[in-house]
Amino acid sequence: MKRQEPKKRYVLPGDFITTAPLRLQGNVVLNGKRIISTTIGLSDISDDSVRVISLTGVYLPKIDDLVIGTITSVFGSSWFADINSCYQGMLLGQDVFGRGSYPTMTEMKERLDKGDIIFAKIANSDRQREPLISIADKNLGRIDSGELTRISPTRVPRLIGKRGSMIQMIEASTNATLTVGQNGLVVVSCEETNGLLKALAAIRMVDEQAHLVDLTDRVKKMLESDGV
Amino acid sequence: MANLSIIDKLKRSKILDLLQEGKRIDDRALDEPRPLVIDTGVIPHANGSARARLGDTEIVAGIKVQPDRPFPDMGDKGIFMCTAEILPLAHPSAETGPPQPDVIELARVVDRGIRESGMIDLSQFVLEKDKSVIGLFADSVVTDHDGNLFDACSYAAVAAIITSKIPKWEMKDDIPVLIENQESDAPITTIPISVTMGRIGEFIIVDPNLDEWECLDARITITTNSDGNIVALQKGGSDGFSLEQLVKCSELSISIGKKIRDVIKEATGGSK
Amino acid sequence: MGGREANVVLLDENGIRSDGRKVNETRKVTIKAGVLKNANGSAYIEFGGNKILAGVFGPRDVHPKHMSNPDTGILRVRYHMEPFSVGERKKPAPSRREIEISKVIKEALEPAVMLEKFPRTAVDVFLEVLQADGGTRCAALDAASVALADAGIPMRDMVCACAAGKAGDALILDVNNEEDQAGQADMPIGYMPNLGKITLLQLDGVLTPDEYKKCIELGLEGCKQVYEIQKNALHEKYFSSGDKN
Repeated sequence: MKRQEPKKRYVLPGDFITTAPLRLQGNVVLNGKRIISTTIGLSDISDDSVRVISLTGVYLPKIDDLVIGTITSVFGSSWFADINSCYQGMLLGQDVFGRGSYPTMTEMKERLDKGDIIFAKIANSDRQREPLISIADKNLGRIDSGELTRISPTRVPRLIGKRGSMIQMIEASTNATLTVGQNGLVVVSCEETNGLLKALAAIRMVDEQAHLVDLTDRVKKMLESDGV
Repeated sequence: MANLSIIDKLKRSKILDLLQEGKRIDDRALDEPRPLVIDTGVIPHANGSARARLGDTEIVAGIKVQPDRPFPDMGDKGIFMCTAEILPLAHPSAETGPPQPDVIELARVVDRGIRESGMIDLSQFVLEKDKSVIGLFADSVVTDHDGNLFDACSYAAVAAIITSKIPKWEMKDDIPVLIENQESDAPITTIPISVTMGRIGEFIIVDPNLDEWECLDARITITTNSDGNIVALQKGGSDGFSLEQLVKCSELSISIGKKIRDVIKEATGGSK
Repeated sequence: MGGREANVVLLDENGIRSDGRKVNETRKVTIKAGVLKNANGSAYIEFGGNKILAGVFGPRDVHPKHMSNPDTGILRVRYHMEPFSVGERKKPAPSRREIEISKVIKEALEPAVMLEKFPRTAVDVFLEVLQADGGTRCAALDAASVALADAGIPMRDMVCACAAGKAGDALILDVNNEEDQAGQADMPIGYMPNLGKITLLQLDGVLTPDEYKKCIELGLEGCKQVYEIQKNALHEKYFSSGDKN
């Protein structure tokens, strides 16, 4: 067996990863025979492909991702939403009113207006135009209550935790409900003010201290204490 | 700033809900300003400098002192000018290009607060009456914007002015000549402190952060001097205040101003 | 470039420069990544007496729309000096020098950034000089590169920069303000260290063809030294705890 190259390694833009003839996935580029990283992150070499898991950067819409968005405008028969990416998400009127419908501006605004917050799915992300989003599924749609906050999209896996461990810890300790979008937007719902403030503080901690090994313990300690 | 981010309805109603319970998003009391950290001498080549961090808002102020011609009707006084600029890296919606009205207002309010207090004794800045005076320029730049630039810029400028060194010039053949190594402290008579308050519904909050700033009905900046007198005022925002609210604001500006004056004195080496 | 008689000895008989450095020594450089809360990426550099803040936003929407490119994202750079950054107070409005430097830095970064994946967007790089002390455009470019990486903008390489020049008849590395004013040549260089491409090059002064080649080589040595410091800055922010999550 060929000696295995280290599976995961810290890399910076321009760093050399390998010359093996692997399929290029995310955040890598080929220069002659050399595969190099285009971002700050962890190189990940598998049997047939290579990628770099980025530790920074804006959210790039991926099909089937669940995201939180804020409606920014209504135009023609579509809504446009800020989905914390370089592109706005486009929600077709037909997605809400049904195929073949022609909702009026008034009908559109009554359902969803500028400033409304939605939990949506990325339906398609063709780079030629704004990604289409959909709220047709049962658990998607307008979010009526809660506090909207934002973290770096690269921290979302940390906020959720292994098998949901981090998010469950925060929810159990504060009695809050967290709705987390892959795009880094999070809505926190809580009956009690104290729980709300604590949950927000925990989320902020994950965003700022995600690189620390003992993050889980630190968050646990803050949740158990009196203040934030 | 033009193009303010979308005001989401949830945010304003949530802020109001919290205020009903006497709380704010960042767990401060209604009359509590954010922690203020001042570092002086951050730009050693300038005549004076300071960096002010008010919560996540960050300002760098630099002082340049150089000979200048006096204003036509004020030949017996030196020149003082304060500017402020929101750098485009301070916030995604900060713009480049000629200053917008809100930035001009910011600069003029900071300038007035310091000027009207008489903080610097400009009569000591005369090299030759009606011909040559010393000009002190206090330029503040916002490097990170999380609301309440009025106070943050003012604190940075004031701290920079207190710790600035004034070079010595002598007139030789009608031209000011710099005399090396004879710097003196700036002639400070008082320390003006501005306190900005906002109104959301019937609640008055001190030092609004950016989230709160975008939901304000009205705001007021009140500057007081070391004697506890009010030297400058600016009301802003598209709604108004009642007389009772204005009186309450003036009281807050004096009591909080005192505490912040102590912070600035401590950071600048305990001058006046 | 000034031509005045230098009051300072730029190079003494022991080969020591006016600030105590040897001819192939750069000034002290420190870089910190991720210093601003609002910017998507940021960096702060101290390069000798230069103090420069870099902030990056993007990729983001372009306004006005007609400035956007349907095939690729665009890079915009603004190099700006604060009024208090230089000896005689500078008025806030952009000078022609700042506009030229903005362009030259943009063209130094363009070969590195990969914006084809972000059509119709812009990446904005804002460089603010808080204190200037000779070689600001190189220091600004060094900070810009770190800030772009911090923002997660895909890049095929980092860009590092340092100036070389000539003073007291000797080739010197990292020209300071005095040497720029009274020396014989100043050559700022920007370099992509892994791809081996020079993307910023200017010259002010007179060099023989042989000096020209040696000057670039000397400058590249300086660039590589700064590259190590750029990498350390990013390592410190992203990899310091050893947590591989």
